[in-house]
Amino acid sequence: MSARDRILGRLRTALADPERPQPEREAAVAARLRGEGPHAPVPAFAQAHGQARLTQFMAKLEAVDATVSRVSSLPELPRALAHELRNRNLPAEIRHGADPAFAGLDWGAISASTGIGRIEEPATLSRARYGMAETGTLVLASGPDNPVTLTFLGETHFVVVFEDDVKAGLEEVWAGLRGSGLDPRTVNMVTGPSRSADIGQKLQLGAHGPVALHVFLVSGSGLTDA
Amino acid sequence: MSHAHPTTPAFKSNSRDALANANLQTALRNARGHFVDKRAAAAAKVSEFEQIRDAGREMKNHTLAHLDLYLEEYEARVTAAGGHVHWAESAEDARRIVLEICRSVNAKTVNKGKTMISEECGINDHLAANGITPVETDLGEYIIQLRHEAPSHIIAPAVHVTVPEIEAAFRKAHAHLPPDRDLSDNATLQMEARRILREKYFQAEVGITGANMLIAETGQSVIVTNEGNGDLSQSLPKVHIVMASLEKLVPTLDDAATVLRLLARSATGQEMSVYTTFSSGPRRSEDPDGPEQYHVVLLDNGRSNMVGTEFQEMLRCIRCGACMNHCPVYQSVGGHAYGWVYPGPMGAVLTPSLIGVEEGGQLPNASTFCGRCESVCPMKIPLPRMMRHWREREFEKRLTPSAARYGLSLWAFFARRPALYRFGTRMGMKALRRLAGGRGRLASLPLGGGWTGERDFPAPQGKTFMDQWKEARR
Ligand code: SF4
Repeated sequence: MSARDRILGRLRTALADPERPQPEREAAVAARLRGEGPHAPVPAFAQAHGQARLTQFMAKLEAVDATVSRVSSLPELPRALAHELRNRNLPAEIRHGADPAFAGLDWGAISASTGIGRIEEPATLSRARYGMAETGTLVLASGPDNPVTLTFLGETHFVVVFEDDVKAGLEEVWAGLRGSGLDPRTVNMVTGPSRSADIGQKLQLGAHGPVALHVFLVSGSGLTDA
Repeated sequence: MSHAHPTTPAFKSNSRDALANANLQTALRNARGHFVDKRAAAAAKVSEFEQIRDAGREMKNHTLAHLDLYLEEYEARVTAAGGHVHWAESAEDARRIVLEICRSVNAKTVNKGKTMISEECGINDHLAANGITPVETDLGEYIIQLRHEAPSHIIAPAVHVTVPEIEAAFRKAHAHLPPDRDLSDNATLQMEARRILREKYFQAEVGITGANMLIAETGQSVIVTNEGNGDLSQSLPKVHIVMASLEKLVPTLDDAATVLRLLARSATGQEMSVYTTFSSGPRRSEDPDGPEQYHVVLLDNGRSNMVGTEFQEMLRCIRCGACMNHCPVYQSVGGHAYGWVYPGPMGAVLTPSLIGVEEGGQLPNASTFCGRCESVCPMKIPLPRMMRHWREREFEKRLTPSAARYGLSLWAFFARRPALYRFGTRMGMKALRRLAGGRGRLASLPLGGGWTGERDFPAPQGKTFMDQWKEARR
């Protein structure tokens, strides 16, 4: 008998309940996996709507030491990025993935390259699939569009989120992820720049991941007005 | 020091040493209150916090009652995503499985995200003994690895180390750097560790992480961290190994939400930790990065024997650390005194379950029974009641009279220390007032079921007698 069979066997014996035949137990599990609950209450701060949702999202981002700026349309992004790079004394360089949102952009004086994260990355750029107003969280899905290493190797990480992709809370994010088939190898929820309190119990930013996190909140769905 | 040989039976002499250790006491004083205040503020901001705790308890009870079925569902989803599930009955099984995977890719270096299950299995020593270098990448774990120590806290592993001790460890370990470099503040220390570990991420062939949850619905493993080291450890090497114990299962993403809303608030007072990462299988064919292999080592190591017993509820634990942060005994002696992987109240219940009552049976006596741990446990685990169960078991097993006396003398050891006793009663009063919800009456009292079943217990109104006495003298 394998370790698997022995472990499962012990559990089955311990959990056997004469009052609840096996088909009944199986039905309970199937129902829960189908999403029939029971469900925990959804906190009020995970249910914001409309403009209040965007306001909460931005406030929560700042509460977790991220910064945020609004961008009126995607073609405006290179200018907004150039401005941020300059203000932060960073070189005019950016590393990003193959996300279609970045494909047709004119980067001007910024030298942009496409690919995965390398050992030294002063600045990286990703597009989050969702923003989440509940906690000021960015939800990134790994893949060729947004390689996962860009999220962790950039000294400063810039993230684009479209306003229409800002969700109220975890429940809405799950609905979105389930809708798209849950295909990515990793879904990365990012809430502020990396930090640690392991040295003297004093919180410091920039432990292994980004020292700074900046969000470009782009109007609408990111589609340019014709 | 590693956990290969528990020093749990020596809890009393460990405690005496800890109380006499000036550096340790400085570090503990520095941390004290820190976690307590942050957790209280975070919980108070969520008006639904109590209902979410109840939902968490219900969810874990349901999962544990159907654990055989959820494990099968989970395994099927991992396999469908191209991953491998390895079942480990014991720590020894887990060591063998991890070593085999590492050898299959000729690994020389293995990067570790923070994982208590790896501690429980003694993975580092085993890899090192077989010529493979384990590198702890969590900053706290890195510090204690350099100091050849075990973690003293489940989420703040280096909480017992002072800043000057960290500087000394870095100067010794990073001998290739200029000896006259300035390491005078926390920021330069963190920056130095960051630079050194950044290179290591690119060298390892295998990355090992733990898991805060395994989701049956999706076959994902979830890690919750603040540093990003767990993500670099799993994204850069060829192979990602997840080490997780059976009870990490949750049914669905919605159930994961319940845990996420409780975990960070209870642990560090954050609303959400910085990185919550859901991983499934190896990299997809079109992916430019991520691991080529994904393995999950599912550890039992005594847990299936807890199912169906009075200790089953302990398996609801989400490893937030709140119980130890609020424990007067832990606050006074730190984590190492407990002598094995899991310290504090959760360790006092879990350790005898996992390594046996003969080795771990003293820990349930390491308590002032103030009830604070249960009042802050997000999963509402009745920790004091389970410690009492262990004492009863110890009695039933008719352990030698000297062992039984040992239990009493351990209680006396703490009761005789006035500072600790005062601290304990003060914390207890705060907790009781909170339970009473300002009504001044408690309908039920932790540990006092028999008594409060008959009448209401008056909630403590003021300060302890000692506090009042001291104030009156000023
Ligand atoms: S027993 Fe409760 S408080 Fe302690 S670590 Fe586990 S979940 Fe947290």
